[in-house]
This record gives sequence, C-alpha cells and structure tokens, in this order.
Amino acid sequence: MKNKLFNIVLLVAAAGIASCTKELNTKPYSQIDQGNALNTSSDVEGLLVGSYADLGAADLYGGGAFVTPDLLGDFNEITWSGTYQGMTQIKNKAIPIDNGFVERTWTGGYRAINDVNNVLSALGVVTQAKKNKVEGEAKFIRASVYFDLVRLFAKAWNDGDPANNDGVPIKLTPTKELAGAADQIPRAKVAAVYTQIITDLMDAETKLPSSNGFFATKYSAAGMLARVYLQQGDYAKARDAADRVISSGKFKLTQANADGIIEEFLYTRAKTEDNTTEDVFAVQVTTTSGINNFQTFYSELGRGDISINNEHYDLYDPSDLRLNLINGDGYSAKFDNVYGNVHIIRLAEMYLIRAEANSRLGTSVGASSDDDVNIIRNRAGLDSLVDVTIDDILNERKIELSFEGFNLHDIKRLAVSTGYFTGGGGLPFNSPKLIFPIPKRDIIVNPNLTQNEGY
Amino acid sequence: MRKNRPLFVVLCTLFFNMAYAQTKTVTGTVTDTKSGVVLSGVTVTVKNSDLSTVTNSDGKFSFQVPTKASSLIFSNIGYGNAEAKIGNGPIAIKLSTSVSELTEVIVVGYGTKIKRDVTGSISKVGAKELNNTPVTSFESAIQGRAAGVFVSQQNGKLGQGINVRIRGSASVTAGNEPLYVIDGIPLQNSDLSSNGSSTNSFTDINTNDIESIEILKDASAAAIYGSRGSNGVVLITTKKGKAGKSKIEFGYFTGTQKPTGKREFLNSKEYVDYFIQAAAGAATQDSINGYYATVADALVDELDFVNSRLTRYSAGNTDWQTQKVNTNWQDQAFQDAPVSQYDINLSGGNEKTTFYLGGQYFDQTGIILRNSLKRYSARLNLDHKVKDWLSVGINLNFVRSLNKRISNDNAFSTPLQIVALSPITPLIDPRTGLTSGALNLATGSPNTNYPLYYNPILSAENTRYNTLVNRTIGNVYGNVNITKGLVFRTEFGIDQLNQNEDQYAGRLTARNQGVANGSGFNSSDQILNFNTNNFLKYTADINDKHSFDILAGTSFQKLQSLTNSASAEEFASDSYKKLSGGASKTAATSSASDWVLLSYFARANYKYKDRYLLSASGRYDGSSRFGANNRFGFFPAVSAGWIISDESFLQNTKWLNFLKLKASYGLTGNSEISNYASRGLFGPNPYGGLGGQVPVQLPNPDLKWESTASSDLGLEASIINRRITVEVDVYQRKTKDLLLSVNVPSTTGFLSKIQNIGKLENKGVEVTINTENVITKNFRWSTSLNFAANKNRITDLGGQQIGTLNRAMEGEPLGVFYAKEFAGADPANGDALYIKNTVLANGGKDRGTTNNVNEAEDVRIGNPNPDFLYGMRNTFTYKSFDLDVLLQGVYGNEIFNGGGQYMSASGSNGFDNQTRDQLNAWKKPGDITQVPEARLFYANGTDNSSRFISDGSYLRVKAVTFGYNLSPKLLAKLKIDKARVYFRAQNLFTITNYQGWDPEVNADYQATNINQGVDFYSAPQLKTIVFGINIGL
Repeated sequence: MKNKLFNIVLLVAAAGIASCTKELNTKPYSQIDQGNALNTSSDVEGLLVGSYADLGAADLYGGGAFVTPDLLGDFNEITWSGTYQGMTQIKNKAIPIDNGFVERTWTGGYRAINDVNNVLSALGVVTQAKKNKVEGEAKFIRASVYFDLVRLFAKAWNDGDPANNDGVPIKLTPTKELAGAADQIPRAKVAAVYTQIITDLMDAETKLPSSNGFFATKYSAAGMLARVYLQQGDYAKARDAADRVISSGKFKLTQANADGIIEEFLYTRAKTEDNTTEDVFAVQVTTTSGINNFQTFYSELGRGDISINNEHYDLYDPSDLRLNLINGDGYSAKFDNVYGNVHIIRLAEMYLIRAEANSRLGTSVGASSDDDVNIIRNRAGLDSLVDVTIDDILNERKIELSFEGFNLHDIKRLAVSTGYFTGGGGLPFNSPKLIFPIPKRDIIVNPNLTQNEGY
Repeated sequence: MRKNRPLFVVLCTLFFNMAYAQTKTVTGTVTDTKSGVVLSGVTVTVKNSDLSTVTNSDGKFSFQVPTKASSLIFSNIGYGNAEAKIGNGPIAIKLSTSVSELTEVIVVGYGTKIKRDVTGSISKVGAKELNNTPVTSFESAIQGRAAGVFVSQQNGKLGQGINVRIRGSASVTAGNEPLYVIDGIPLQNSDLSSNGSSTNSFTDINTNDIESIEILKDASAAAIYGSRGSNGVVLITTKKGKAGKSKIEFGYFTGTQKPTGKREFLNSKEYVDYFIQAAAGAATQDSINGYYATVADALVDELDFVNSRLTRYSAGNTDWQTQKVNTNWQDQAFQDAPVSQYDINLSGGNEKTTFYLGGQYFDQTGIILRNSLKRYSARLNLDHKVKDWLSVGINLNFVRSLNKRISNDNAFSTPLQIVALSPITPLIDPRTGLTSGALNLATGSPNTNYPLYYNPILSAENTRYNTLVNRTIGNVYGNVNITKGLVFRTEFGIDQLNQNEDQYAGRLTARNQGVANGSGFNSSDQILNFNTNNFLKYTADINDKHSFDILAGTSFQKLQSLTNSASAEEFASDSYKKLSGGASKTAATSSASDWVLLSYFARANYKYKDRYLLSASGRYDGSSRFGANNRFGFFPAVSAGWIISDESFLQNTKWLNFLKLKASYGLTGNSEISNYASRGLFGPNPYGGLGGQVPVQLPNPDLKWESTASSDLGLEASIINRRITVEVDVYQRKTKDLLLSVNVPSTTGFLSKIQNIGKLENKGVEVTINTENVITKNFRWSTSLNFAANKNRITDLGGQQIGTLNRAMEGEPLGVFYAKEFAGADPANGDALYIKNTVLANGGKDRGTTNNVNEAEDVRIGNPNPDFLYGMRNTFTYKSFDLDVLLQGVYGNEIFNGGGQYMSASGSNGFDNQTRDQLNAWKKPGDITQVPEARLFYANGTDNSSRFISDGSYLRVKAVTFGYNLSPKLLAKLKIDKARVYFRAQNLFTITNYQGWDPEVNADYQATNINQGVDFYSAPQLKTIVFGINIGL
C-alpha cells in the first residue's frame, strides 16, 4: 500500500510541475524587451518619434523649460499667483535644490538625450536612404536639449571663462544597463558643452532634409544654431545661420486677421493644429499626446497662474496689435489652445537675430536691420522705423518674443540686470540666483557632480 | 491530472474498503453546560481522522466509527471544543461558551489547529466582533481588536484605500500589505482606480458573511504562504451552515454619519483684514526689492491689487467692505449621510449536507458631497458528504457594488478643497443667480477666475464618476479520506473581478477640466485570479504520546488582468454622457498583464505527551516576476512550544491554569513589485499622431526575492480559574535584499531601478490581556486589552535616500519626516526663520537661525509611525442588556499638514482662506510669534518645515454597542428564536491634539509605503450612529 500511496503523491506533484513550470515564463504585453526593440529600420525610426515625444515633455520642450526661465528672469513684468510652490520658488529666486520643476527639466532632458543616443547607436540598421535624416534629427534633439540644460544649469557663456565654468555632464552613448561608477559622470565645462552642441547642430544641418513634415529640418538646425551663436555673442555666425533660414524661402510670417490677432497665435477651439508657415520648429501637441505647458501656466483657460503687470504693458505702443495677445483680465492670450503646438523656433526670431547681428556688425547680410525689424513691426500694425538702433531691435525682440522663454537668456547674454527693459533694477545677469541648482536627487546618487554657487 | 482520475478514484476506494472493514456504533447527546439545552448541529469527529457527523435537532448523534477509534472531538461555532473517550455506553457531553480560549479552533494556512497547540503568533477576530459593524469594509472592523495590526484608513471617502500593517512595514518600495486569503483562496488586491487615489478592493466583501478572521503574524504561522508571508497573512473564513433546524436570520440597521472633525477658518471680516495686512507686508518687501522707491508707493499698488481681487472674489461688487457675505465654505463640502444595511441569511442542513445562504444590501451615503456606495452581495456556502470517504463543497460569492466617487485629495474638484475659497464669495453669484463660478455673463462660459479657485460644488453638480464592480469569489473543494489519518484535499478557486469606471464632467467644470464642452472617461478592467491547491494531510497518534500531522502539497496561482480605457471631449450637450457622444476621442489604451506563482509546500507538527510541541514548515515558490536566474525561493520556518502547566512540578499550583512558552524562527518573502520589473523594456510613446517607442526600464536579470527572517518568543498564561489570560509576544523581523526602487543618476536617461539593495528591521512587543472582571448570575463584565509597540528602522539603503518630505533613509524609520526646523517669526521684521542645523567643525549643529531656507539643513521633524497602538474592549451584560465599548488609539506619531503651505501660510501663498491660528501673524517689531508676517505672494515660511508638523496621537471611542435581547418568554410568544435591538456607534468621539480634520489620515493621491501621515484637504473619518435589529426564525 505504501507504494501506491507514494504513487499518488507523485501524481499530484507531477501534475503540478508539468503543467505549471512553463507558465512562469510570462511575457509583457504592452511593452517589449529591449533586445527586440531596435532590430529594423522602422524600429529605430519609431524610437526617433518617441524621442520627440520625450523632448516634448511638460517640463522640457512642452514649454516648462521656457516658462521657468521667464519666471526666474522676471523683475516686475508678471505676477505669479499659482499654487505650485515650485514655481513660486522660481519666481522668488529662492529655489531649494529639490525643486520638482527644476528636477524634471534636468531628468527629462537626459531622458530625451538617452533616447537619441539609442537612435544614434542603432543607425546601422536604418535604411540607407533615411540614415542621414535620422542621424540629423537625433543630433538636433540632443543639441537642443544640451543647449537648454547648459543655459539653465550653468553660468552664462559670457559670465567668466566658459572653459573653466562647470557646464552639465555630457553623455553620448545609450544606457542599456547600469554601469556603477561609470554612470557617475562629472560636469563638463561650459565651453565643452557648447562645442558639443555646435558640432551636433552643424552635423544635423548638413544631414537633414529641407522638408521633413513637422519634424526637424535643415532649417530647424540652422535656427537653433543662430540661437546658440547669439547666446555666445558670435554675431557673424548667428547672422549667417539666421539668414540661411530666412533666405531658404521655406517660411513666411503669418499675418493679423480681421480681428487684429496674429494668426500664429490665433485660437478658435481646442483642437489639434498644423505647424504655421512661420514655425521653423514646433513641438506637436494633439488631443492624444503631448502637452502645451505655456497654456497650462499662462492661459486663463489653463491654470491662469501668470498675469501681466503694467510694467510690461508700458513697453507697447498703444496701437500695437500684439496688445491683443493680452486679454482683458491681464493674461497672455498667446497660448490659449490647450492642443496648440509649442512654437519653439519662429521665423520672427530669425529676423530679429539677423537684424541685431547685422546692426552690431554694421552689415546687411540678407537684408538691412531696418527691413528686418520693420517686417515684424508692420505685421503688428506699427509704422516702419528708419535707422533702427540696437535698443530698437532689442525692444522689438522683447515684445515680439515675450513669454516665449527668451527673457532670462537675453538678460544674460546682454549682461544687464533683470529690470533692464522696465526701467532698471533687479538682479545682475551673473547673479547665482539666476542659475538653477543641480537637482538634489542627482547630487546624492552622483558624488562627482558639483553644485552651483549659492545652493 | 485529469487523465489519471479514474485510476485515482479506484485506488482511493480500494483503501477505504480496507480501512473501514471493521466498525462499531457510537451514540450520545450534546448539551450546553450553562443552560442544559440540547445542542444541534455540533460536529462530532473521530480524533485524528476526518470521519465526522453532526448532532440532530435533539442534540443526539449516532454513527459508525472504526473499532480502533479511541475518542471523539466535539466542536460547535461559539463553543469551545471538547474531547470524549469512546467507552461502552452512550456519550453525554457538555459544551461551554467557556472563557477558556485554549480549546478554540484557530484557522491556520491549509488547516486548523486548536489554540492550545498553536506555536506561532496568530490573532483572531470573530463574527461577534465583526458583524453589523457599520463600516464599508471589514478591515475597519478589526481596527483596535488585534494586537500588532495597524489599520489606517486614508480618509473618509467611501471605499478608499486602507493601509494594514502587521508588525510594522517590512518593505520600502515593494508591497507592504498583507496577503488576504478567503476560504483558502488568495484574494487579488489590485488597485484599479483611475483617478489618482486608490480604492479598496475588499469593499466587495460582506463583513456579515465572515465567521472569523485570523491574522498570521510571525514567520512560523505565515511561512506556509512563503513568498507572500513577509507582511503577514489575513485568513478570512466565511460562515457555514449547521445540521439541525434550519434558520432564517434577518438583520437591519439604519443611521446617520457625520464628519469626525472640522477645521476652523477665518470669517469674512477676518479674511478682509488679513489680506489688507498681507498687502502691507508685501509692500514692505516690494520696496526692499527695489521695485518701488518707497513703501508708501508700493502700498498704493498692493492695496489696489488686493482691493481689485477682493472685489473679484466678492462677485464683482464691494460687499466685502461691509462683510455682507460670510460664507462657511467648509460646511458646503459635507452632506447628510444616511447609512443602512439589510441582511438576510438562511442556514441549516443535515448530516450529509449543510448550507449557508447570505444576502446583503448595503446603502451608504458619504459625508462628502456626491459620494455614495451601494453593495449587493449574495453568498452560498454548501458542503456535502458524498460518501464516507468523500466530501465536497462550494463557496460562492457574487457582489455588485457601485461607488460614486470623488476626485483625489489633490484636485481642485475634491470637495474639501472648497475651504480655500474666500468667505466673502457668495454661494450663489448675484449676477447670475447661479452657483458661484458657473457662468461669466461676459463670455457666456463658466468663470475662469471667479471664485478664487474652481468651485468644487460645480463638480458635485455636474460630474459623475461611477465605479461599478461585479465580482465573483468562489471555490470548490474535494476532501478524500484515503486511509486512516490520510486525507487528500483539492481546492480550486477563482476571484474574478470586472470593474467599469465611467466618468463624465459637464460643461460647468470647464475651469477644472480645461475643456469647454464636456469630457468623458471610461475604463474597464477584467481580472481573473485563478488558484488551485492540492495537498495531502496525514495525522497519527502513537501510543497516545506522540501525535503527528503532516501536510504536503502544491499550489498554483495565475492572475491575468486586461484593461482598456478611453476618453473623449466635445459633447453635444451634458445629456450625452457616454463616449459615443464625444466628437473628439482624446485617448484610448488597452493593456494586459500576467503573473504566475508556482509553489510546493510542506509542514509537519509533532506533539509529545500533549505538552511538547514542535512544528516545521517550508515553501518553495517560483514567481514569474523574477529573472530565470533567481526565480525560485525557499522559505522555511520552525517553531516549538512547551506547555509548562502540564508538567508535574506545576500540577499543584492552583492559581495557574495554563502556561505555554513558544518560540519560532523562519524566513518569509515578498515579491510585490510590478509584473515585469526584472526586464529591460521599451514602451510606446506616440508623437504628433505617429507611433513611437522609447526605453522605459533598465534590466535587472539578477532580481530576486526580498526576504524577512523573523523570530518570535511568546508566552500564554491563564490564571485564577482562567479569569485572567495573558499573551505576550516579543519579536524581531529582519528584512534583507529589499526590492528597492533605487535612484540612478539621471544622465543614464532613467530615474530608478528595482534592485535587491538594503535591509531594515522591525522589533516589537505585543501584549493581550483578557479578564473576566465580574461574573454573577445577572451581570457580567469582561475586558480585553491589547497593546503593541513596534520599532521600525532602515539599516541599509546602499547609501541612498528616497523621498523629499517623507523619507526612507538609513538609521531612520520608514517614512520619517525630514524638512527644515521652523523657528517662528523674526521679532525684528517678521521673516520666517529656520534653524540652520548645519554641522559645525566640532561636530555639533549650528542652532542659529536664518531667513534663507536654503541655508538651513533638513532635519528629522517627525515620524509618521506610531510608537505604540492599543485597544481596549469592555463588555457588560446585565440580564438581557449588553454594552460593548471599544477604545482604540495610536500614540507617538506625527502628521504633516501638506495643505499648510496654502491654508496656514500667513496669507503669503495666495488668497486662500487661512486657518484661524494665522491671526497671530507678526505685525510689528518686537512681536514674538510662531506665525511670520502676512506677505501676499511672498511665500513667507511656506517651505516644508516643522511649522506644519503636529502630534498625531489619538484615542478614539471606536465602537459602542448597546443592545437588548428579547426575553425567551416573549420570543416564545412571538414564535421567533431570537430578537435583538441595538444602537451602535462608530468613531463616537476622538481625543487628540491634532488641529486638522481627523488624525487618522494619509492624503490619498500621494500615499505610498514611504509617504505616510500627510494631510492634504483629506476628508475626515465618519462618525456613525445606527439603530439596528436582528431577528432569528
């Protein structure tokens, strides 16, 4: 009998083992193993598309990386009345090192960089015909992110010696697994980061096509280069890069409609929109993906956290159509479409860069600075100026690009105080308070990171 | 296995013919010790076999037993077990509802034990304590009743998350909730909520169906559940029918509920004065910052601004100047909250078949606007003896519940955020005659900047969020007596859950939703949790000295979940609430997930001379969550007990009735991480209407079980005629290889990775004392006291710390609060001051103050874990009256008011109405106060600091029942068996220093293992008073 009993036990156990052990090999349904992710050209192109989505994260090119410097660089043009304490801290220039907005810009930036590093490491499987395009787009994204990180988290180019000032860590390879100490990358110098940015952008401009749907083109790269050179005060290169965008003829300024609203910012209903003729590069927002964080904070239809003070109104000529972009309650109406694309580089900026650089250099590459400024003024319903001065150009730039994330960076490159455009006062351009802290989470996990002065 | 069944049955049958060839007949009668009444439905079992019968309606039994059988065991629900030797004549035995709990039957994993023989640490809560508790789910009913079991409800929203911690938290980032097993089948405990706050899936269990809840606390008790035992195991046993007279029981209660507490806010006059004061404070700063030449210049602008805002919030008029409107917004967040419950259950059976049929309708309105829950539950438990050697049974429970939910605590639409609105804002906007915020006459749309924030009443009136659950929990079992002492049991169970969440937010919620023309959301979840257990049990007695029972088996569990959800916008009108009405579909997603656990387990119990107890168990578990390298884990445990009072040297110690020492040691595991945590993964990330993918998770092929080594030393004693029983346990639980979400440098492109890093420990003591204080003919008073202290400490996190405010860090308990140490207002200028706490060269700390928050170090400002928990229950019976009072408390924990930065912020973080304590703000040089100067939008002291910490200890009159049982005479006249009326109160009152709504709180949207003890506009708990009636036929 003992023998038979033993058989029963065996039967029970065998039934369990045979039918069930295989069941332990479950597979994910909604995600895929990384080993199967980058086998074909379309896999890599899919990763590139996904990289744009990460670039467009809320606190990065979804707008956050531009709203926060607007708050940080503000002296008295806007009032912050939102409940996000992290934003209040930025507006008050008293940022604790664990500020969530600051942290997400940093971590989101490196996430997008890792995405495109994966793209660049897998170029081998990309169809020959698309290889240049894919490489160019990836490098455009990488350079753009590094540019915004180094502008926000390190001393300005013109603040001391960029070859000695700490920039941000440079990582150019994808992370497939953790590597211990090798993951603890120290900060590269500001100059090294700019060199990397310019190398990537020049490469991107060469390799990108001139038309590429809503993705980055040759001119997106040139536009970003113009912005980078301007930040460095390299006016000749900035002028030439801007000129390459304008003279391509691919872009056209939008005009004001019958109600006096410049169509670039026209909002009719919450719905997905195409890039305008003026968009040199825009992050796509649809009803199903992406976010426009300018809308979140500036629009009265969003949280309506930022209202505009008289000091800003006073910069405008009363007949300026751009006053229509400030609504009756004192909120910017530039971003009222919750599903509107995030305008990253507009043709108007290129005109203003070319105008400023031509004016400073006494040249007329592409057009005279008068013409470039007036094309912007005329669109806004203002009369043409003659013999524009640098101040005229800077004022025009101030108004035209207001609330689009230029304020802090212009103050820094011009080496003026935060109150410069509204009658003086405020913090000097090189105040440590105008630089974000390196996020605490990374300071803890990466002992090789140095913290910025004042934190 | 199916293929082999015929052979199997043949084999079994064969054994029986052999085993039961020779039998004899035994007869007898069972009566109640106290009343002498005959007891029907008493289970009579041959000792060390599964051979049993039940007594008939005359309390008599008669059945065939093997000639070798020596004694019978008698058991009956509500009575202690008794044993009788089989002699020659009929057996007459008396059962008592005795105070001695030692003969009580305790449910353990895959079996039962009598309490006397238990060597592990197990708490039991019975039907008497649980039934008719006016709470949404059963965990609330065990609060305060079991030593070392910390039950804490996040807030007073119905069916919302409840945290249960048994002997402290064993994990940092993997799950910390115990395993729940109902009638042998593990319940799935997924949170399927879509709104950022968790729901409690045990809301689906009808508390009145529960016969008992056993909580397995130490390793020796829990290790049989191996990989899931680290957080303790909660075994739920549902009611069974009894042979004998069939019964009908009807229960009903109805009552009302109120919030347990409210906060005090400024009235209109105080509010207006306060913000004018805040304008002056801001003007001083404007001038210091150089925005204005003089303070006077700045004040003009600041006052202009404040006046214009006050006018805006006063519905566009100047009524604020006269305080004509004084709205108490807090009151508007609450509603009348009736609760009622209807129960009917039928039970009965005969020697072969017993049944229990239970039905319930539970209808609860929440105290918070628009919150309600309805539950319909039906259960059938059926047991049938097919043959002498085969019994089968089924437990089947069907539940449907509808929870009308509200937003998470962090949403403007959550009703309690209404307290931020200005008291000068009228409920009804006089310009429109509608709810404030509903309509801006100028735009024809809802207001975008009036009132101060989105008015949650608009959501209450224009939103639906219905969570509908249909759930079937059931199992079938077969019990085969193979031969004397050897039993094979097979169990097959499912827990199948379908949930639909259906949401629609109408046009008037535009300011909250960000879309003008309505938005809808719908999600469906299907979960199938499938489990089968197959095991053999062998029991034997040798020479009445050695008794064994051995268990060995396998278990297989698979949990499959399927989810899809979609959302849409642009509805033709608010009459269309389904997604078909939305022109723009804004999201659609579907996903699936599988999890498999394969287990082999065994246990052996050995008892020598009825007083030396030894037990060993082991479980070998394989989980699909781990990489192939480390998929299986082994979890053994041993325990021993010594019943000293049975030793000859204590036989003459009259005052000592019972004394047992016990000790256990064992390993348990934890694998409560996401299903695919060990893999390197890419996931979808669409952009601009095109499909995209990105890396989402780093691989960790070496990921393995988190394991906890526990030791427990216990003592059970009863003295003075068993009038006093004491149980004491001390324990230590050391967890290693934590399944830790470890932060990684973000330059990798990732934020964290689950790795086996770190250690933590819990140690503590638990004491339970039961006393029978007075026992007279008419009056009886008994007391039950439980106390548990647990000390949790993280010993190793690989050098990292997790979290900002609540932290996991080495050397500290899990979730400890770290922030700046607040030092009140600077008497000179009203600046918020913080103690620097920077480390000095001499190792000390700089206790100087600073007004620059970045110059101060974060220090420990509190601990959300209580030092100890306690409960005390007193029951009094006088003739037909009974009174039962349960006190419950926690001591030594702190609460952080996360909403403090808005509501208690010296008006320096916006126009939010302020708590009354803010009236003490600094006003002039020399003022000594803890409240810094009011400075509108200057964030004066709003950073996380000890300013917002308070003591969270409380003592609560948790439950009071006052009942009256109709006299037998009257019952006979009415021809009913039993009738009882009662009043019952839950959370009757609370003694606490906490100034917030309720000290039992953890803001739902942020609650994790680490984030505990934070209040953020969280709804208070419910104070419930019901009147009830029970009738038995």
